[in-house]
Formats: sequence, C-alpha cells, structure tokens
Amino acid sequence: MQLAKKETVSKTSVQALPISKPESRLYMSFISVAFISLLIGGLMGLLQVLVRSGTFTLPAGIDYYQVLTVHGVILGLVLTTYFIIGFHFSLMGKTVGISLKQRKVAWIAFWIMVIGTVMTAVTILYGEASVLYTFYAPLRAHPAFYIGLALVIVGSWVAGFVNWHQLKVWKKAHPGEKSPLLAFMVTINTVMWFIASLGVAVAVLIQFIPWSLGYAETINVLLSRTLFWYFGHPLVYFWLLPAYMAWYAIIPKIIGGKLFSDSLARMSFVLFLFFSIPVGFHHQLTEPGIDPTWKFIQVTLTMMVVIPSLMTAFSLFATFEITGRRKGAKGLFGWFKKLPWKDVRFLAPFIGMLAFIPGGAGGIINASHQMNSLIHNTIWVTGHFHLTVATTVMLTFFGISYWLIPHLRGRKLTPQINRLGIIQAIIWTVGMTIMSGAMHIQGLLGAPRRSSYSEYGGGEQVTEWIGYQMAQAIGGTILFIGILLMVYIFIKLTFFAPKGVEEFPIAEEEEDAEATPAWFENWKLWIGITIALILVAYTVPVIDIIQHSPTGSVPFDFPIGR
Amino acid sequence: MRKQEVKKASEKDKPDLKGTFVSVMLLGVFIIITWFGAFALFISR
Repeated sequence: MQLAKKETVSKTSVQALPISKPESRLYMSFISVAFISLLIGGLMGLLQVLVRSGTFTLPAGIDYYQVLTVHGVILGLVLTTYFIIGFHFSLMGKTVGISLKQRKVAWIAFWIMVIGTVMTAVTILYGEASVLYTFYAPLRAHPAFYIGLALVIVGSWVAGFVNWHQLKVWKKAHPGEKSPLLAFMVTINTVMWFIASLGVAVAVLIQFIPWSLGYAETINVLLSRTLFWYFGHPLVYFWLLPAYMAWYAIIPKIIGGKLFSDSLARMSFVLFLFFSIPVGFHHQLTEPGIDPTWKFIQVTLTMMVVIPSLMTAFSLFATFEITGRRKGAKGLFGWFKKLPWKDVRFLAPFIGMLAFIPGGAGGIINASHQMNSLIHNTIWVTGHFHLTVATTVMLTFFGISYWLIPHLRGRKLTPQINRLGIIQAIIWTVGMTIMSGAMHIQGLLGAPRRSSYSEYGGGEQVTEWIGYQMAQAIGGTILFIGILLMVYIFIKLTFFAPKGVEEFPIAEEEEDAEATPAWFENWKLWIGITIALILVAYTVPVIDIIQHSPTGSVPFDFPIGR
Repeated sequence: MRKQEVKKASEKDKPDLKGTFVSVMLLGVFIIITWFGAFALFISR
C-alpha cells in the first residue's frame, strides 16, 4: 500500500481555466493564418489536378512546379504549423494557464513566423524557389526562401519554449500533482518537433544558405536529404499528434463519455516521441549511399510506431463501446448507433479516424524496405499523404474548429452551421475518396508523382493513366468546393455567429480510474531514450555519408529551381 | 461461496468490450490483406 502510494501521484480534476480576450486574439491569429493558407493552397491544388487532366494550361506563363511548390509549402508547412501552434496554445491556456509575459513571447513567436512565411512566399511567387516543399538539393532556390523557412522554424521553437515554461510554472504551483493530460501531450509534441527540426535547421543553416549565396560551391546532396528526412518523418507525427490529442481527450467528452485511460494515452504519446524520429531512412529506401543494414534498422524502428497507433485504435473503439453501452446499447455493435452522428464536432474527426485505417495500412506498405520499390516516387505516395494529413488530420482540425473558434470568439455553433459542417465533411470525404483512390491505383500502375501533364512520348503504359488523372481532377474539384465551404464556415464562426458561450470540451477520467504512475513525469528519461535511439540509428550512417559521399553538387536552376 | 460472489461483482464492473475486440481484429485483418496484396504485386513484377 505504501509502495503504491509512492508510485502514483494524486489525481486532479480536469483543469478548465477561462481564456481572456487578449489570449483569444493570440490563438485566433495563428488559426486565421491557417485558414487563409487553406484557401490559397487549395486553389493551387485545383490548378494542379486540372493541368494534369490534360485539358487545361496555366495562364500567363505560370509554371506548374511553382504552383506545386506553393501547394506543398503553404499546406504542408504553413497551414499545419500555424493551426497546431494555435491549438497547442489554446490547450495550454485552458489547462495550465498563460502569463502576460508568456503571452508577449508567444506574440514574438507569431511575428517571427509571419516574417519567415512572407519571405518564403515572396520568393516562391517571384518564381525564385520552385523547388517543391522538400527543397531537395541540387535544386536551388533564392537564399530568402531558406532564410524564411529557418525563421518559421525558429518562431515555432519560441512557441514551444513558451509551452514548456507554461507547464513548468504550473508544476511549481501544483507540487506532486500530475500534469493535465493535454498539457503533457502538447509538451511531447513540442519536444519531438524541437529535436526533429534541429536536423532541417542544420541543413538550412550549414548547407543550403551558404550554397545558395554562393559562399559554398557544392553541396553534399545525400547529407542534405538525410537531414531533411530526419526532420520530415517526425513532421508527419507533428501533424498527427494534435489530432490524437483531440481523439483521446476531447472526443470522449463530445460523445458524452469519459477518458478511457489516462496512462494509456500518455504511454502512446511517449512511444510516438521515441519512434517518430530515428526512422527517416524509410523515405530514402531507394537511395544509394546508405548501407542497407542501417535502412533495415530504421525500417524496424518504423514498424514500432504501429504499436502506439494500434493502442490508439483500441482506446477509441473502447471509448465508443463503453459510452454506447452506458446509453443502453445492446449486441456486438449496438453502441455504434449511439454515437452522435449529427454532431459535426464528432462526425468530421470520426471520418478522419476511418481514413487513417487505409492511411496507416498504406504507410506500413511504404515502409516495408524492398517492397517500397513498388510505390517509390509514384503518385501512390501522394494519395497516401492525402489520406493521412489531408483527411485524417484536416478533418480533425475542422472538427476542432467547430467548437474552438466560437469558444475563443464568444460565439455559438448554431444548428445551421453544424449542418453546413456535416455537408462539408461529406463533400470532403467524397472528393478525397475519388482523388486519393485514383492516386493509389495510378501509383500501382507506375505513374510518377510530382510531374506535370505529359504523354511521355506516347508510351503504351501511359494510356492507362489518363483516366485516373481525370478522376483526380473531378475529386480535386469537389475538394475545392469543400475548401470554399470551410472558409465560409470559418468566417461565419469568427465574425457572424450569434454571441454566446461554446463549450471547450475536455474529457474527465472515470471516478474509479487507476492513478497514473508518477514516472510519466520523468522528462529526463523520455528525452534521454529519444536521444539514445537517434544516436543509435543515425551516428554510424551519417559519419559514413560524410566520409564516403561523392563530390558535392553545384546548384541547378533548371529545369526547376530559380 | 463468498469468493465467487466477489469474483462475480468484479466481473460485473468490467466494461463489456466484445465489440472493441472484434473491431481491432477486423482492423488487423484489413492491414494484413492490404499488405499481402501489395506483396503479391511486388513478387509478380
């Protein structure tokens, strides 16, 4: 009994602090940039699918790859990062609070990111950075593109530092108490983001900026790609974990249930921290110059991510079943009917969860070492991440917006907006099923990703592809209608919805839930294991890459680049 | 007898998760089918 007491920390009730107007302004600023990005990035997506249908030519000599770069950068990097940071701040503000000083520093983070975003956007719009969102060397962009990206990352670090400080101040004021679950999750995500983005920061500062300025004649291409993917895979989890935060700790409240297990949720986040970073080689499986042994080791580590993903799936099914049975559901799947299907705060994220089933299954195929050659650099991969980030993550972010924006703006989610939201979620699902499905099949038929419309000299295999490209144009057009509707809903919720109070739903634990072990708060242990795994997975191959790489490459500005 | 009653009571407290069990099993089957589908394609090419 004594031991049990020592090993656990006291349970605390869910914190729900009021959010002041100046705080709301900060959080809404981040979220607003995300929705502006959605509109611009979505329009670029529409142009791409139209061009690839072979029936449309871009006007005024606009280059396809310029449009593609805007689409990738503004949706993959800008929209996601701004929404996530705004959501992180809202969760921290609600559960542990934010001081005036912390808020001021958070504004500095916002403006650093805005300056960086504007610099990057201007270089892309001037056609000086058509290097796609992965900015692979030896394609060269204008130095302002890289400096702008570096500023966005630095701004996001400052935001993360504020989050850590918020939790630290709270813990000082609440000795012996476990940190609120959502604050714990935000801290995991920001720690992961910081450790991961160090890789891309090193690549940008040490390799790309001097090389694009002409101070360095050549660049080590393999090293730059390795540093990018050291960052690029955890980037995917940086997008996904905020969706998981909503699934674990917010959705149960929306459906009228309780948190399934505080400890399970924390454990799955800790496992994501461990296994999101030392796995970047599974994006480089066809790359020469990396020893296959180290590829195999990182493939094995990648498969470890399946564990917390399946823990999440189990936990969600269990939450739905327990809640449904409490509402009187009978039979094996009777609980399914008890879910609030007419509540868009639930429906949109639920469709996101469903999309993650084929998304995750596709991910396992992608990371299966030699089998990766089946789909590598085909449009299957594009179809894959349009399921994961553009459906799972986006529909969950939309689901969050339906309560978060009115909560921050002192307004109400009306039945009319709720209905529009349901229509929006259905439009998104139809559009994405057509577009992503066509991309998956076309990829299996060998069609490349990232390429503008081409008949490839009239090859026989190519004739199989055009039908799928037409389907992508139809799906993409439906998706753009979904984007227009979502932007309309955003404006309505922000400025025109009736004044009132909208709930900030945070799930509570069961009355008799087991206490969470105190060792979950051992940050030194979690960060130590994370760093150890990274060192094991990367030290030898990176030394190998530096020592044995061929001569570096001079910049290429053609066919795409500057 | 008393022991049995205690056992019965604790079983009653446990949530019924049969639907969850079947759901995660179906999820596993879906992953396996898609993986082997891709594997068959990989081998045949």
